[in-house]
Amino acid sequence: MQPTADQRRWMYRHMVLSRYLEERIEALYMEGKTPVFNMAKGPIPGEMHLSNGQEPCAVGVCAHLEAGDIVTATHRPHHIAIAKGVDLDAMVAEIFGKATGLAGGRGGHMHLFDEAVNFSCSGIIGEGLGPAVGAALSRKLQGKPGVAVAFMGEGAANQGAFHEALNLAAVWQLPVVFVIEDNAWGISVAKQTSTAVPRNDQRASAYGMPGHHVADNDVEGVFAAAGTAIARAREGAGPSLIEIETVRLAGHFMGDGEDYRPKGEKEGLTDPIPRYRRALLDAGVFDEAGDAELVAEAHERVETAIRFAQQSDFLPPEAALETVFI
Amino acid sequence: MTTEITVPEDLWEGDTEGVITAWLVDDGAEVAQGDLVAEVMVEKAQYEIEAPVSGKLSIARAEDDVVAKGTTIARLEA
Amino acid sequence: MTTTTKSASRKLTIARAMAEATAQEMRADPRVFVMGEDIGPLGGVFGNTRGLYDEFGAERVRDTPISETAFIGAAVGAASDGMRPIVELMFVDFFGVCMDAIYNLMAKNSYFSGGKVKVPMVLMTSTGGGYSDAGQHSQCLYATFAHLPGMKVVVPSNAHDAKGLMTAAIRDDNPVVFMYHKSLQGMGWLGTEKGATVAVPEESYTVEIGKAAVAREGHDLTLVSLGAGVHHCLRAARALEEEGVSAEVVDLRSLVPLDRDTVRASVARTGRLIVVDEDYHSYGVSGEIIASVAEHAATRLKAAPKRVAYPDIPIPFAPTMEQWALPSADKIVAAFHQMLNES
Repeated sequence: MQPTADQRRWMYRHMVLSRYLEERIEALYMEGKTPVFNMAKGPIPGEMHLSNGQEPCAVGVCAHLEAGDIVTATHRPHHIAIAKGVDLDAMVAEIFGKATGLAGGRGGHMHLFDEAVNFSCSGIIGEGLGPAVGAALSRKLQGKPGVAVAFMGEGAANQGAFHEALNLAAVWQLPVVFVIEDNAWGISVAKQTSTAVPRNDQRASAYGMPGHHVADNDVEGVFAAAGTAIARAREGAGPSLIEIETVRLAGHFMGDGEDYRPKGEKEGLTDPIPRYRRALLDAGVFDEAGDAELVAEAHERVETAIRFAQQSDFLPPEAALETVFI
Repeated sequence: MTTEITVPEDLWEGDTEGVITAWLVDDGAEVAQGDLVAEVMVEKAQYEIEAPVSGKLSIARAEDDVVAKGTTIARLEA
Repeated sequence: MTTTTKSASRKLTIARAMAEATAQEMRADPRVFVMGEDIGPLGGVFGNTRGLYDEFGAERVRDTPISETAFIGAAVGAASDGMRPIVELMFVDFFGVCMDAIYNLMAKNSYFSGGKVKVPMVLMTSTGGGYSDAGQHSQCLYATFAHLPGMKVVVPSNAHDAKGLMTAAIRDDNPVVFMYHKSLQGMGWLGTEKGATVAVPEESYTVEIGKAAVAREGHDLTLVSLGAGVHHCLRAARALEEEGVSAEVVDLRSLVPLDRDTVRASVARTGRLIVVDEDYHSYGVSGEIIASVAEHAATRLKAAPKRVAYPDIPIPFAPTMEQWALPSADKIVAAFHQMLNES
């Protein structure tokens, strides 16, 4: 399955959007956190899990999705949220904890909900799998179209929730696609230390569903595998599992010293964005000027969202008492 | 005319005795044919007793009484 | 197929009342469906889904694998997508394998979406012991759920309230944990409490979540309880009446929201308070009720309050030990006598 030129441009643009947002977040996050790293300080307090390097997973999958399809994402959600079409202004404002954020600042960067595009994420490993299965069940029961995609890291494949959810989706033949972003690290624990099989797509056979493996963080490899799996789900043929070899270019979270990574390992990783840019230039999807224009537009879009967040107010603190119940 | 409510022979397999766990209608109440009137438990399983005809219920066997198939547990006065 | 009587005196067990409320809501609203272990052809281990499979079929009355994390998580996903799932956790004791889906997901999604995502689901679960099932199948854990924000918690003591609370729970746009005590279900093998099987209207109705009921009026003493404990209190009140003591019994019915006003109003009249709870003694419902009264200036107590609750021990198997540890009417009466001696 080959993407069209428009789809290629769309995937590239969303990778650039996500990366530039994270570069800006990275800079803003450190404000007020030096020389003493105090996580509670600065315009973006709290934990910050950057997804740079993992953009191919998000865009290759979401290129096949519509607003009505469901995505549940992880504690490292920005690239997926952007690719799923989450309102960027409200998302960035939520990351800043502002009143104009998706939840008025109650959730923060690990808890982004945009019901308009059926996106949610969670700070608990493997927590999105059950809800994706349930949303798919909901569509089946209502006779409504739509597939659900549950993203997770490779560490989540060792959670009970993974095995329960795959079995449930398979036994009920639900339109779900499980996508593992294998960045090789569960915080500091290497995949081979934690996982009994070299590739988690092999585990699909235990649940009678197809397993796909995408090597080398390949954008169009993800696009092809996801296209097959999502088409299968839309046809009512049941769930699939995809594992994507991706890279974590940053630490687990900001402030991570990453002393656990072997010397030279990070340096050997390939940044997928320059590589895909080169490929699209070679394929004539755009020329240098076209790329520069696309990148400039994406940067401006991010700057607009950041200005929106910075200029927004916080909710009054007592608003914390609201929306526990509806 | 009086109709007896007995524990049906085909309510459960075998000849095990059961116990009335609940009367779902008060003694002396008017019930309609097919109404659920009592529950009988055999081991962990529960079975339903329905009124075979309409009439005024007169309970013959109380809750917690042990009953067998064929036992008259109540009468209905039409 | 269950037939229901037209008689005005028709009574139901809590199990049947729950099934009837569920069936009525399923007829009225195609978004309502049921999931859980053994809730299909068996009709629920505790009888509360009897007849549903025959009427609504396997699509809407879904037996699940033994995968509580997945199917409770799935209920959250379905509820967020516009359905109204009712999901059963067979024994509340099993929450340990799936609490994340309950308290981090079900209970927090509305908040973390700023109220934009609704999670209209019912988690029904059995509580309580008294039949020698030991400490992994006999707990109440009321306070464990009530302590964690974001989920409503109801605990009926009789079939009338069970039906009304179940209907209210299904219609609620928030997650509701419906905790039913096994001894009240009308399943004889669990030691059935007769007082729970009461007259229940056939037509659909709701009991407001968050409103306690005065199960018996009195002016000398307030007994506060929930679920099976209400029946211990009513027996104790009858025994105390023979001593010339008039005891009021407050049935909490809901733990979240908690109707502190009804409790305080009763204690303001009686000046004496005993809380009865089959959940563990410490850090529980009994402490919360006493604190709610004590921190309120208008409720002047004539004597130090008491609690009759489960000791802080795992629930033992041997009947001698278990029955010794459980709350009872005798213990409530004894607590009152001790209260008099102390004051």
